[in-house]
This record gives sequence, C-alpha cells and structure tokens, in this order.
Amino acid sequence: MKRILDIDPKGAMPIWRQIEDGVRRLVASGGLERGTRVPSVREMAKALRVNPATVAKAYARLTDAGVLEMKRGEGTFVSERPPKLAAAERRRLLDEGAARFVAQAATLGAGEEEIREVVEKRLRDLKQNGGKP
Amino acid sequence: MNGEKMIPARLDAVTIRYGRTVACDGLSLSVEEGTVYALLGRNGAGKTSAIRCLLGQRRPQGGRAFLFGRPALHSRTAAMKRIGVVPERPDAPRDWTARDLISFHRGLYEKWDAVGVLRRFERFGVPLKTPFGRLSRGQQSHVQLALALGHGPELLVLDDPVLGLDAVARRAFYEETVDHLAGSGAAVLIATHDLDGVEGLATRVGFLEAGRILLEENLERLKERIVRIRFLEGLQAAAARESLPGGCAVLSEESLGGSVAWVVRLEEKAIERPLAGLLGAEAEREALSLEEIFVALCGDGAGNGGAQ
Repeated sequence: MKRILDIDPKGAMPIWRQIEDGVRRLVASGGLERGTRVPSVREMAKALRVNPATVAKAYARLTDAGVLEMKRGEGTFVSERPPKLAAAERRRLLDEGAARFVAQAATLGAGEEEIREVVEKRLRDLKQNGGKP
Repeated sequence: MNGEKMIPARLDAVTIRYGRTVACDGLSLSVEEGTVYALLGRNGAGKTSAIRCLLGQRRPQGGRAFLFGRPALHSRTAAMKRIGVVPERPDAPRDWTARDLISFHRGLYEKWDAVGVLRRFERFGVPLKTPFGRLSRGQQSHVQLALALGHGPELLVLDDPVLGLDAVARRAFYEETVDHLAGSGAAVLIATHDLDGVEGLATRVGFLEAGRILLEENLERLKERIVRIRFLEGLQAAAARESLPGGCAVLSEESLGGSVAWVVRLEEKAIERPLAGLLGAEAEREALSLEEIFVALCGDGAGNGGAQ
C-alpha cells in the first residue's frame, strides 16, 4: 500500500493527532476524495508500523467530527458531505491551529509580514492542488 | 478474582541474584490488558532475568510473578496456552525444519491458526525445508514469531526480538506484531534496545536500571514530562534553575556558544504551565525522541543493541 501519511513517532505531537491532522489535510486538499475508502485500522497501522489502538483513536475522532464515516461491513470512507461542525467548535479548532502556528513563528523570530507571507503561500498551494480554502 | 480484570503479567517486588550479582532488585511491573509495554534498559539491566521469572522459568529469591492473576511458577503450563514467546536467543532445535516445527507446535495447542502461520512464513520468506540452525538470524526470529502467534496468544512476550535483524527483517517483524495486535488486542511485553522501532508501538514504557524500574509511564505522558528546554539567552539558565519548582529536575545541560539547553523532568503540575511563568526566562520546549529520553535517564551508551 502506498504510504499516504507521513508520521513521525519521535515528533512532539501524539501519533493519533498526527494521523488525525494528516487525514484532515488530505481530505481538505483533495488528496483523499469524498466517498473513497480509507485504509482499515489494521492496514493503516501496519503501513505506519504504529499501534492499531492509536489509529483507531484517530479514526474514531475523525468519525465523530464527520470527516470519515464507517459503513458496517464495508469499511471506513471519507464522508460524502463536508462535516458540519458547530460554529463554536469550528472556530475553536481554527483558533487552536492558529495559536500553535503563531507561537512557533514567534519562537523562530518571524515578523508579522513573514507570517502572513507563509500563510498566503500555503493557501495558494492548497488551491493549486485543487483544494478549497 | 471473579469478574475482576485479570492482569496478564505482573512482577511484584521480584529479587533475583546470581551469586553476588543482583539481576532484579525488588522489581515490580505490570502489563495490563491492551497495553504494549516496552521494557527498556542497557545490557545487564536485568531485562532477561525479569522475563524468565515472569514466565515461571526461574524462581526469584524474593517477590512473586503472576500470569493472568496466578503464580507464574505453578501455573506455567496452563498459562503458556495463552502466551506467545519470542526468546532472546532462538531456542528451536537446530536440525528441525520449519515444517517440523509447525507440526510440533500445532500439536501443543487446541486452537491453531494453520493458515495464518503459513501466511507468515510466506510473508517472511522462510523456506519450509531448511533446518532451523541453517536459517539466518532474521529468519530464525521470524520463525519464532510466526510460531508464537499461531495459537492467538493474549499475551505476547518478546525478549529483544529484533536484535541482529537488518532493517527489512525488523520492519517485517513489527508489521506482523502490529497485525496481531489489530486482530486480538493482546497485551505485549517487549524488552528491547530498538527504541526507534517501539516508539510508535508502545503505550507504556518502563526504564530498567540495575534491576529496578527507574521510571514507568504512559509513553504519551512521558514525552510531555521529559522535554528539552532551550533558552534563548543562555545567561538566563542559571537564574531559571533557582525558580524551577520542586519535583522538577534538570537531567542534563548542554551549552553551545551562548545558548543553553536542558533535558528536564517536569513534575505533574509543571507540565501544563507556560515556560515563561515556570522559569521566569524566555525559553522553548521541544519534544524528545524515546531514544533521547532513554539516554537522559539511563546514561550514555544506549542503542548499542549489538553489544553483548
């Protein structure tokens, strides 16, 4: 199976969160199309060589969030419809990501202009890959 | 114990001596259901002694070992039906072929997944007609794992299983272990030097030194507890040491030019606090790999898995 996610077990972020974020990114960028089947917990765990319980946790969170849906006996799929998050929850997730990024940028000594510049570049990349911001 | 959750493997204050050498010194640990417990320690830290005691192969001078809630020494035979073991040194008869080994093992157990075992041999590329003694180190390890998983064990005990395996063989070994976990949710106790390999797999780690558990923790939590703190201004480090709350400890300090970095063990309440408040200095927090944590706790010379 093609390795679709890059996971760094040594990284700062828990592995389940890396998987969760990775799948969200792939769905957002169109790398994983709506309605396609995603690898089973077992397949994903084997491919990444991580504990299946960790993959299961990420999948459960993604399913709760409406990014993935489980069809009994068929497997796990990318939801046909974009998840409708409660406005507050959506805002919280957005803000959480921004806080992480801004904190990292600040420790790297980046100025406001540079911060805007990299965000804009990422938005352009996303569009180029067919995703919608 | 009726209805109570049975702990698959437990050592309670185990002491083992070989002459005047103490291998385990009041060692306690428990491997609970659904956990992958990585037992980490340098050579001679007591890993193999602990495992032999756990499997009822050795009577400790003090303390007790339990398998599924029963004394390991007396329930060894019954417990073995529920346990798969990959020993530190391959222990199958050297002149037996894989085929001989399979038929022998299949006779030992009531349930035996013949299809799965053959699939694993195929997956590992182990020839069925070659005597065990003539297989490579990697193949021998693969044979032992394939056999250990044949009866669908609830507890898998792996003693330095990837020692001497090349990257490809190691990878295959972990993939099959993950596959078994996915199917069974078994508990796993793995003693190893391959910190990179177990980092994605372990849910709990125990650091063993001189026969004692130095620290035992959920891996995710451990990575929040032991971190690198890098001071933007090296000069602030000395003052920060004063403001470090009790219970926190600087395990090591490195300096390069004007910058200073610590590896720190944080106490429970300090984990969540922002560094500026904690240290009164500008600093950033970095996560460490399991290997870096191991070196910080157990000293240099970690990861030399080949040294015996």
